[in-house]
Amino acid sequence: MEKDLSILRKKINEALIKTITRATTRAPVEIIRSLKKVEKEEESSLAVEQLKLMLENFEYGEKKVIPICQDTGVLNFFILLGDKFPIISDFRTIIENAVDKATELVPLRGNSVDPLTNQNPENNLGINVPPIYLSISENSSNLKITILAKGGGAENISKLFMLNPSNALEEFQEKIVKAIKEAGGMPCPPVILGIGIGGDASSCMKLAKEALIRPLNQRHSREDVARLEIDLIQKINDLNIGVMGLGGKVTCLDVHIEVAMRHPASFPVGLIVQCYSHRWASFEMNEEGEIIDET
Amino acid sequence: MKHELNLPVDDRDLINLKIGDVVYLNGILITARDQVHKRIVEYFKNKKDLPASFKNLKGSAIYHCGPIIKESNGTYQIISGGPTTSQRMDDFENDVVKILGIKLVIGKGGMKNLDTKGNKIAYLSFTGGCGAIIHKKIEKIIDVEWKDLGICEAVWILKVKDFGPLIVSQDASGNSLYK
Repeated sequence: MEKDLSILRKKINEALIKTITRATTRAPVEIIRSLKKVEKEEESSLAVEQLKLMLENFEYGEKKVIPICQDTGVLNFFILLGDKFPIISDFRTIIENAVDKATELVPLRGNSVDPLTNQNPENNLGINVPPIYLSISENSSNLKITILAKGGGAENISKLFMLNPSNALEEFQEKIVKAIKEAGGMPCPPVILGIGIGGDASSCMKLAKEALIRPLNQRHSREDVARLEIDLIQKINDLNIGVMGLGGKVTCLDVHIEVAMRHPASFPVGLIVQCYSHRWASFEMNEEGEIIDET
Repeated sequence: MKHELNLPVDDRDLINLKIGDVVYLNGILITARDQVHKRIVEYFKNKKDLPASFKNLKGSAIYHCGPIIKESNGTYQIISGGPTTSQRMDDFENDVVKILGIKLVIGKGGMKNLDTKGNKIAYLSFTGGCGAIIHKKIEKIIDVEWKDLGICEAVWILKVKDFGPLIVSQDASGNSLYK
């Protein structure tokens, strides 16, 4: 039994290294499709020229298996662990080991810096990194891990708003549009926004981050939430910030909102900004360690 | 308009660069980001010597970039190296370009405090996220300084070929594409 688990651990480790490589060296198909559509619609020649370079860069990175962006980001791990999956502990160790190996193999940039001393161990490890978000799925014997490579430029635009519930629904849209307007070209537009409404200060930020993983152009299942998403996409595109802030019709590829019940006195809204190079990948394996799905 | 320029450039080259123009660069430039900018200004204020290689940068370019570098047997190879957000260097850049004699600043997103007119320099935008393609544009890594700052923050002295398309977004007449 113990021997079987060590094989399974090895399989998780290998799947993680492969998934980190995929997440950082190629853009998801839906992003490529979306940027090609923008290239056709965009009238600004500076936007079109840059979109061409972006697409060429994606192609080149994938062909050479090198990071499409030098900022390979902070690797965020979203674990969906089936309650019947044989391994339920040690995930931090397994993940740290994979991050260490992938940093050397891909290679990734060393993006973990001590906040007080500025020391960089160059292995993407250290105090409280990488961030790991664990959810349990009931009556499942599978393990799914999604990896989001989150760059610094876009992350720096992220915000938390603690609003007054009496006028929050009107105010939150203004706040978000203002944040994107002030950011201009900094987050590498056209951007994708993850927004969490409700919950508390920390849970709305987590919702906002998880919202980024939803497939592009997929609306929230609740119609009133979906309408907010469409409204915001429109308002942000009206800003005319354009590709990399040099003007144009498209500033935003998509807005994903997730909601949670709030405290009567609080109306938290979390905003996580993602660049056009929205890099993520995932795998799902069964209890035998066989890959049953890959993105 | 399209320009192909060899580094170092002079004031005449700068006069011809107008916002919206596209530039391709050949020659030697350096990467510099947050910690390097801070250190250059500190060293200058404290009259501390800068690395000797910094003396040859008159008319050259600073590239806001924290690359991925592979080191094997003492040689370095650049793996990926797109631009980083320039506004983080905003408080230091006017001093840094004066200290080093820099004529072109390359990055992404533009700079709010950069005095391109007063310094007779231009700011060129390279498309963010385009790190892999740099592989084709860097002929070689000539040297590295201040490696103690870490791979990403160090000064990489690069020989570039056909480095572009770079968009002139803030020109030496003080015009800017960023509103």
